[in-house]
Amino acid sequence: MVVKIDDSKCIGCAGCVSVCPVMALTLVENKISCDAKCISCGTCVKVCPARALRL
Amino acid sequence: MDFDAIVIGAGPAGSAFAGRAAKGGMRVAVIEKKKDLGTPVRCGEGIGGHWFESLGLKIESGVGYAIEGAAVYAPDGRELVVKNDETTGFVVERKIFDKQLAIAAARKGAHFYPKTMATGLVKEAGRIAGVSVQRDGEAFEMRAPLVVSAEGMEAKIAREAGFNCQANLYDVDSCYEYEMAGIAGCHRLIELYFGNKIAPRGYVWVFPKGDDVANVGIGVGGSMGADPKRLLDDFIAKNPRFKKAEPIEVKGGVISVGAPIDSFVKDGFMVVGTAAHQVDPIHGGGIALAIEAGEMAGDAALAAFEKQDYSARTLKKYEDDWRAAEGQKLSKRLKLRKVIEQLNDDDFNHIFKEIGDSDMLKVLDSDFKPVVAKILLKRPSLLKVLMSLV
Ligand SMILES: Cc1cc2nc3c(=O)[nH]c(=O)nc-3n(C[C@H](O)[C@H](O)[C@H](O)COP(=O)(O)OP(=O)(O)OC[C@H]3O[C@@H](n4cnc5c(N)ncnc54)[C@H](O)[C@@H]3O)c2cc1C
Ligand code: SF4
Ligand code: SF4
Repeated sequence: MVVKIDDSKCIGCAGCVSVCPVMALTLVENKISCDAKCISCGTCVKVCPARALRL
Repeated sequence: MDFDAIVIGAGPAGSAFAGRAAKGGMRVAVIEKKKDLGTPVRCGEGIGGHWFESLGLKIESGVGYAIEGAAVYAPDGRELVVKNDETTGFVVERKIFDKQLAIAAARKGAHFYPKTMATGLVKEAGRIAGVSVQRDGEAFEMRAPLVVSAEGMEAKIAREAGFNCQANLYDVDSCYEYEMAGIAGCHRLIELYFGNKIAPRGYVWVFPKGDDVANVGIGVGGSMGADPKRLLDDFIAKNPRFKKAEPIEVKGGVISVGAPIDSFVKDGFMVVGTAAHQVDPIHGGGIALAIEAGEMAGDAALAAFEKQDYSARTLKKYEDDWRAAEGQKLSKRLKLRKVIEQLNDDDFNHIFKEIGDSDMLKVLDSDFKPVVAKILLKRPSLLKVLMSLV
């Protein structure tokens, strides 16, 4: 599973990266990507200040 | 490519370390994944006045706006103005400030590699021997006996090295911020607005950067389930001062407001700045703490370089120095945060009514006892909540 990212809302702050327990998220040049390590725990969804993530 | 130390991250912590270590003769590489240092800004950009002397920081004109104090507002609007060496200071332009720190480090001989991302640790016979990196579609290794994580909140390489840098929801604030122009009534005071409806377990801030320009932001507790952007938009819409104000930039981020991580060093590895959660738990400020930690770590690295011994035992000088300088103060601040988060709006209004500006100064100096006594006299029901402070 991976989280769905709405790039039109994301502000590239990397907050989601800092809370992900399995380091599934990566920020490169203001763009977030999520890899297959994601365990759908929802932590990043809760912390995102721009509400850019969904499970 | 061989170096004496590789620093991951060219924020304030990384550049401060690099400057110190390079000046002392180490070959230092700073790798930064962004192509543009200092952007996007994830910060209110405020730095307390006392730091400028203790760290020898200089603010060139155009890079910072001088602040003379703080105005703090209770949920019912009551105002307290506090002026001390912590509430005076500057609101800086971090895009320039961060770059100037990097320029200063480069002048001292540090090598910079922008647009270069650390992707993992390189080990040799179980020991740290460098980092693997990616740049321009190429993957390669950079080697050094010492790796320094100045990665900020992401801290992925530090976590790979075994440090507990993963942030938890309870101990972070989730923040959204606009830089706005055309605001009425900015007075060289930073403004902080408290209230559970305004910002659950957090506050709204207005940090002026000019006579009518300011960072207007909000931080809410990560575990509160609140939507910071919506709350901030509400605050701005309801306040007539912003009627003519235009947002000219969007900023934001997630910042640690918990305890520092339990150890900052291992054999061949150091963690400095916000990666080590060296952040003030009350206001989420971490720029100056990052510079201070970077310099202390740089000094410890130089001692290790002299001896050619990068063991945790030698590097620990940095951790001891940092904890002696900041450990106690920040742990008192964390206690205060945990008390404040239990207060409801009524409690807040009451406390603001009872205490004066001088009491607020005492609280900021972690001299809680007299203030707690004063509050309890009128509101004994807060005994349980406030007891942990005395
Ligand atoms: C909304 C908000 C408001 C804030 N307001 C204030 C304030 O008013 N005053 C204050 O003092 N502090 C404030 N802070 C905190 C402050 O921004 C940080 O404490 C400060 O930036 C920490 O500096 P640093 O050098 O440790 O890390 P950072 O400045 O975060 O730098 C880390 C760098 O490492 C890079 N990096 C990370 N991983 C890699 C990798 N794998 N490879 C290469 N490069 C990498 C990043 O791209 C980044 O440039 C605020 C924070 C937030 C989120
Ligand atoms: S926390 Fe949200 S806004 Fe910040 S980088 Fe992640 S998805 Fe983007
Ligand atoms: S849902 Fe959990 S595991 Fe998946 S990316 Fe978000 S924080 Fe990581």
